[in-house]
Amino acid sequence: MKNVLNFLIEVGKLKRKKRRGWVINQIKNPESIAEHVFRAAILGWVLGRKKKGINIEKLIKIALVHDLCEVYAGDATPYDSILPKNKKQLKALMKTWPRFSDAEKTRISSKRYKKERKGLEKLISTLPTDLKNEMRSIWLDYEKKLTPEGRFFHQADRMENFLQAYEYWEKHKNPPLTPWWLWAREFFDDDVLLEFMATIEKRFHKKR
Amino acid sequence: MTEEKKFYLTKEGLERIKNEYKDLKDLKLAKTKGESPKILHSEDLNPEYLAFQEDISFLQSRITEIDNIIKNAILIKIPKKEKQNIVDLGATVFVEVGGQTDEFTLVGSLEANPSAGRISNESPVGRALLGHKVGEAVVVSSPIQTTYKIKKVKYRLS
Repeated sequence: MKNVLNFLIEVGKLKRKKRRGWVINQIKNPESIAEHVFRAAILGWVLGRKKKGINIEKLIKIALVHDLCEVYAGDATPYDSILPKNKKQLKALMKTWPRFSDAEKTRISSKRYKKERKGLEKLISTLPTDLKNEMRSIWLDYEKKLTPEGRFFHQADRMENFLQAYEYWEKHKNPPLTPWWLWAREFFDDDVLLEFMATIEKRFHKKR
Repeated sequence: MTEEKKFYLTKEGLERIKNEYKDLKDLKLAKTKGESPKILHSEDLNPEYLAFQEDISFLQSRITEIDNIIKNAILIKIPKKEKQNIVDLGATVFVEVGGQTDEFTLVGSLEANPSAGRISNESPVGRALLGHKVGEAVVVSSPIQTTYKIKKVKYRLS
């Protein structure tokens, strides 16, 4: 039980860790990682039920586990390797979507993966073996998109992020939404999530 | 009966998945017999498999998943030379967008990983680029108008 208690105390840190993307966008009182996980799980559930053959229990477990690695790894943003120190330059950068060569994209993505895998292993290291194995498989399913649930949630997670960006934009006119739309149109390909994105788009046109 | 989803895969992607299938089946067989699988001592072993071998139910669900993928796989073929200036599945497209340059390879949903430069043919941008030629400008206007100028198309997937 002592190990489980320590694990839960570590997991609790996600309730206080602010999502880095919003911090660099200078959003006031940004959400925590745990807050993102909560709604990502709900979003995955309510949209996942529209997908044929998706196991919702498995999907929700994936949602709960997917960001646990961030207790130690922190959360990454696509801007991390090019962040300027100057606030004015930072603001200008947030209006663009960062573009990299294929080689650079692969390098960034593999570096992030290794860091997060290490973070997860550290977090689950003292858990009972069966639970540790289950959490690792679930995390790998999400990261590597190994099953229909892992593939769907990989995108559902980003949809929650996109929705949050949209909500902040409605409230504060920040973050700038152009890069988000550019990214979203290259990222999402799931039919249910594309339909959901189209619904956000309709609202966006009304609020613009 | 509804039609099963087809999976477009590159030759490399299909080979990778077939190898994984074989390795996971070996792992499962050895686990059922209570042996230490030989594959675990192989230098070629994908380190991710080590995670699966301890979780039999996950191992089985991945085997079932791969079985379905292999049954419904469609191999992405490189088009004839005269058509290689047109964007099709498997093409690496070099574009100019919003004053920046970018490159992405168009693949099926299963191999898509936009953060590693592989975008899905079913994504809005992937769909918009398909069928266009070098020199053309593709406008994606929903909801923010963006022009992708196609600078080069290359087929380098084996």
